Amino acid sequence: MNQKAYYGKFGGQYVSESLMNTLNEVDAAFEDAIADPKFMEQFHYYLKQYVGRETPLYFAERLSEKYHTKIYLKREDLNHTGAHKINNVIGQIMLAKRMGKTKVIAETGAGQHGVATATGAALFGMECTVYMGKEDIERQKLNVMRMEMLGAKVVSVESGSNTLKDATNEAIRTWAKVAEDTFYIIGSAVGPYPYPKMVKFFQSVISIEAKKQHFEAEGKLPDAVIACVGGGSNSIGMFADFIDEPEVKLIGVEAAGKGIETGEHASAMAMGNPGVLHGMKSYLLQDDDGNVQLAHSISAGLDYPGVGPEHAYLKDTKRAEYVSVTDAEAMDALMELTQLEGIIPAIESAHAMAYVFKYAKQMRKDQSIIVCLSGRGDKDVNTIADYLAGKGYMN
Amino acid sequence: MNRIENRLNQNINQQEKSFVTYITAGLPDLETTKSLLKAQEEAGIDVIELGIPFSDPIADGPVIQEASFEAIKNGVTLKKIFQMMKGLREEGLSVAIVFMMYYNTVIHYGIKEFVKKCHEVGVDGLIIPDLPFEEQDELQQELGNSDETILIQLVSPISKERIPMILEHARGFVYCVSSMGVTGQSADFHKEVMDYLKTVKKHSKIPVMMGFGIREAKDVAPMKEIIDGAIVGSHFIKLMKSHNYDPAVAMDYVKTFKQELNS
Repeated sequence: MNQKAYYGKFGGQYVSESLMNTLNEVDAAFEDAIADPKFMEQFHYYLKQYVGRETPLYFAERLSEKYHTKIYLKREDLNHTGAHKINNVIGQIMLAKRMGKTKVIAETGAGQHGVATATGAALFGMECTVYMGKEDIERQKLNVMRMEMLGAKVVSVESGSNTLKDATNEAIRTWAKVAEDTFYIIGSAVGPYPYPKMVKFFQSVISIEAKKQHFEAEGKLPDAVIACVGGGSNSIGMFADFIDEPEVKLIGVEAAGKGIETGEHASAMAMGNPGVLHGMKSYLLQDDDGNVQLAHSISAGLDYPGVGPEHAYLKDTKRAEYVSVTDAEAMDALMELTQLEGIIPAIESAHAMAYVFKYAKQMRKDQSIIVCLSGRGDKDVNTIADYLAGKGYMN
Repeated sequence: MNRIENRLNQNINQQEKSFVTYITAGLPDLETTKSLLKAQEEAGIDVIELGIPFSDPIADGPVIQEASFEAIKNGVTLKKIFQMMKGLREEGLSVAIVFMMYYNTVIHYGIKEFVKKCHEVGVDGLIIPDLPFEEQDELQQELGNSDETILIQLVSPISKERIPMILEHARGFVYCVSSMGVTGQSADFHKEVMDYLKTVKKHSKIPVMMGFGIREAKDVAPMKEIIDGAIVGSHFIKLMKSHNYDPAVAMDYVKTFKQELNS
């Protein structure tokens, strides 16, 4: 057993033998890169000049007033391409280039990671193929068009449930054949080691900035940090620099879909058992026979049956708490943030907001919460309109 | 002695090449699977790989993926496959059976209970493509050194320096993935396939079997001097599908392949 691939009993490298050497190469190249000041300097250069970092830690005045506690929004929605996904893409694509790869592949559900990868590929002059479930291609036409404009090839995956889970399977299958010249850019804090470690490293810029910004504003650490969890990339980035600050409460918010009791949800932590999917051992939604169960959420970005292994570990060690909110609660929070602060969040991020409003009840006026506003809601306008019109939504 | 080891070693002693097929359990139903297994045993098959359907078969190509989804849709589960195996052994099936499955199915059943059940119903070997050498401790501990059920090791053309480590305690046979990647590609073998097979053969104390992308015995003719036999998966499934899972066709295919392999 490769102990460093594990977070407690979670993580590992559950991939075919034909990928083991490839993963070892990626791990060695990653460790080498992040120890190289030039690589890190270049990474931060692109984060600043291209992505637009640092992102503000915005004090949400009207929400704070309403909920009688200080609410700070970490504005990842202001990043280039509209979400935190680009932070990790820049890091991994620079690594790919450093390893001498000429092509990148990625999986995508809602299309945000696909768009971010296509963007990075355009910037660094690499050939890009994005795997996307047939169902998702139909519901996210705009993002498909963006990826194609950026020069990426979007491959429709028609297997299994035709969604993110299957797109990821297909990306892994393809990678096993083409790893010689191709780097696989995983967008979430999932997959075989070293991916969860890499994604956390590149996303930790979120919490490193937020911690400093909060100190500047309040002269202390926040009392709670809250982020939404699908696979867990924005949340692990938001938690990273606070994990060793035990007085800071860490809360991950999963999607309860139509309600946990309906079975139509995406709460792997609440309802899943340990299992193996996409190269990792973690909490996983499964049926009675050990087949992977489909997740359900109004938010495509949270619609994933598993969760990153470090989150599973943070849950088991009780360092972080994981809760879930329903589609309806998230949509109410989305409208509230839109109308009180003039910020239309992604539906993913609205899940975190919804829990902030609940959690605020146990907070005092002089205490503070940081919530990760992981993405903007432009991509969701159609879904929001359908929801408001009472037409329901797809999935 | 383990049934797989028994049969393959016997073949080597008689200077005979071995032949292994793969079929997804419950395709299109478990009764058909039973008759296909029996027909192949009669035709002289050496080992049969039985695919346990899983929702996310990341190491399989389109043919086996589809077979897997179809079997799941038809209600096939590991429990039912165990039942079928029990019945088959009671009816006298004695050919070596290897389960080809994904690790989640094992974990979900419970590793201890799973191994116990394998012993009980006569599963002779396991191939778990998403359980590379580094992740096998948990399962190997449960399997122990027993002859009843053994874990088969896979190697690929890019395993290279990993080969000695993987093969040191390997049992049954070495499963050589011949072309890179997933099952069901055409037979245009990896450019370094001959060197690769020679390397595997050099490090292996047990039979070396080649799989992935093989259709007919002539596909492996160029490497016949190196390997101890061949494994056919996707092509066998396609053949069965196009002949409405006729046991007579299975029997004929196995007989012909074995004959040509040894001519």
